[in-house]
Amino acid sequence: MRRAPTWPRHAIMLAVCLLMLVPFYWVIKTSLTGENIYAWPPSIIPVNPHLFNYVDVWYLIPFPRYLLNSVIVTIMAISGNLLFNTAAGYALTKQFPGKRWIVLLLLSCMLIPFQATIIPAYLITSWLGVLNSWLGIALPMLSTIICIFIFKASFEAVPRSLIDAARVDGLSEWRIVVRILLPLSKPAIATNVILNFIWSWNAFLWPLIVVRSPDMQTLPLGLARFLSVMEDTTGALFAFVVMVLVPGLTIFLMAQKEFIRGLTSGATKG
Amino acid sequence: MTTASARSPWYQRKQTRDIALVGCFLLPSLAVFFLYRILPLGWNAMLSFQSWSPLKAAKWIGLENYEEMLLDDDVFWDALTNTLIFIGCSPIAIALALGIALLVNSDLKGAAIYRTIVFLSYPLMTVAVGIIWRWLYDVRGGFFNYVLRSTGAIDEPVKFLQSFDWALPCVIAAEFWQVLGFYMIILLTGLQSIPQHLYEAARVDGVPAHARFLRITLPLLRPSIFLCIVVGILNSFTSFDLVYVMTNGGPGHATELLITYIYKAGFGQTRFDYAAALTVVQFLLLVVLTVIANKLSGGNAGSLER
Amino acid sequence: MNWRRVLLHRFVFVPLALAILVGGWNLYIVYNDDGIIQGVVRDGSGAALAGATVIFFERNSAYFEERKRTITDAKGAYRFTDMQIHIGQLEARTADGRQSQRRLLRLWFRAQNIDVAPLIVR
Repeated sequence: MRRAPTWPRHAIMLAVCLLMLVPFYWVIKTSLTGENIYAWPPSIIPVNPHLFNYVDVWYLIPFPRYLLNSVIVTIMAISGNLLFNTAAGYALTKQFPGKRWIVLLLLSCMLIPFQATIIPAYLITSWLGVLNSWLGIALPMLSTIICIFIFKASFEAVPRSLIDAARVDGLSEWRIVVRILLPLSKPAIATNVILNFIWSWNAFLWPLIVVRSPDMQTLPLGLARFLSVMEDTTGALFAFVVMVLVPGLTIFLMAQKEFIRGLTSGATKG
Repeated sequence: MTTASARSPWYQRKQTRDIALVGCFLLPSLAVFFLYRILPLGWNAMLSFQSWSPLKAAKWIGLENYEEMLLDDDVFWDALTNTLIFIGCSPIAIALALGIALLVNSDLKGAAIYRTIVFLSYPLMTVAVGIIWRWLYDVRGGFFNYVLRSTGAIDEPVKFLQSFDWALPCVIAAEFWQVLGFYMIILLTGLQSIPQHLYEAARVDGVPAHARFLRITLPLLRPSIFLCIVVGILNSFTSFDLVYVMTNGGPGHATELLITYIYKAGFGQTRFDYAAALTVVQFLLLVVLTVIANKLSGGNAGSLER
Repeated sequence: MNWRRVLLHRFVFVPLALAILVGGWNLYIVYNDDGIIQGVVRDGSGAALAGATVIFFERNSAYFEERKRTITDAKGAYRFTDMQIHIGQLEARTADGRQSQRRLLRLWFRAQNIDVAPLIVR
């Protein structure tokens, strides 16, 4: 059978990849360059490259503090999601009066993008008194509807006989979830962790609204603040950008398969 | 039979316990959704008919907020147009992603590497993406001006993000760059679910390649494309980060989106009531567009199956 | 063994490697952050210059500002201690008004101990 040569396709894909990588290269180049970054013409390779921009930015901004805030909020969101979504997902596998209504309610809630509720959400958060705190940032992200349904589907795939046997053995409901259902739902857990990781790690609009004091800022807020406050002609800002991107990219490259699977199953975020 | 009647009260108690358990398990999630989805939506709708600010008691003013928005507020119309342009451009990105997905889907060697690279920009922090692209568009240190000037395409540097004509396309291009990989992944999943025997049968029948694409690939890909379009619509909401960092709506209001305008009205000018009215419009827009997209894809996909 | 597989799994290995790296780096910092900046001043022929003034300039947002000065000993050596900085400039001046070029100092962390290459006064 005749087959078209593959090199044109390789050529196109190489060109596409090159284009996709240019922004990465340009920012890394700028973060390493030793000269004034506004010098014309910019050079393709960094001029007397050094890593001191990274040192500068470390002392210019409270990077560890931003990182701590981001990590705490992300951990809160992920653990909240694991706990609440597991519980809710398990509850939805059971039969109970009014189940249809609850499912319908959740499905219609899924249509409400969080961005469409920021004004009252801000007022509610301030009424709860958790403005400008880790809990306040994490609170709206503590449970995700799509992830509840992912857990529900995963739990329903577990054979009933297994659960019944455990119940006969006298395991409590929570034990059944933790000991039997969760170990059999690793992909669902991975999806949950990953989706909530990117959503809370990258969240910007909500922290921007909730956070007032500089020492509660998360990494994205720190970036935006650096951009608006600091006027400098070295690559420090771009060193900061690279430092912010590295954790996320590392996790993405490590968990690529789970990442992509999780995203396609949770495609309609919000 | 006797045991059944004896067990009945116990069974009764178990059922109540079950319901209590279900309630406890559902409660935390439902509380979060109630606080941050349902209550805000209702409150938002109510607020849009009121005159209210944190320092002033609420007063019903009927449709005044909407009147102001629709009749007197040019910025609102700018923001609405820009949002629609933003959404309207997403098919371009989807088409590009479809092309890439088709190339990567075949038995190309190294397809996994290409896929990773194209997807790499999606999980990035959008604020960082905004800063990177702002820099790429920079007048002096930027990549685009450098390339255009050194190849002699232009003599004077273009102020991409400061120009009324270029700012919006530039922001959209940055958004494309970030979301392209995601569209590609959705479309790839769709492509891989198309049964291969359809293509083989078509090939045996001598159907040419472009017809195979139009008759088999596209119709069967409709759900995935619909998903991409929904993501594109939602992105017009989530692109707040990008616009905020790259242009903050400027120059003038050339890149103002509804969401950035809502933020400015609510948290810049403390006009929560007016921002709430804007939010209602934005939400309705989202619902209408999603329903239209659903109708388009659902209707056609249904007719194919029949 | 099972633990070996667990250890080599990328989700364990990468964070562990990172933790070791960060820990090691911090350990290094702890033992090298007395803020000692030292070196010698020489003249054009390479002879040590005693009694020269060495001035340290600290970077103050945009420009460099004098922060500390000291005088070289008989061997031409000088020593600053407790310098809580990561960037600055050094310059040597003699009593007769000659001076060296300013030397830019960039350190890998605040208060790093460093031996500066000789400052040459011509």
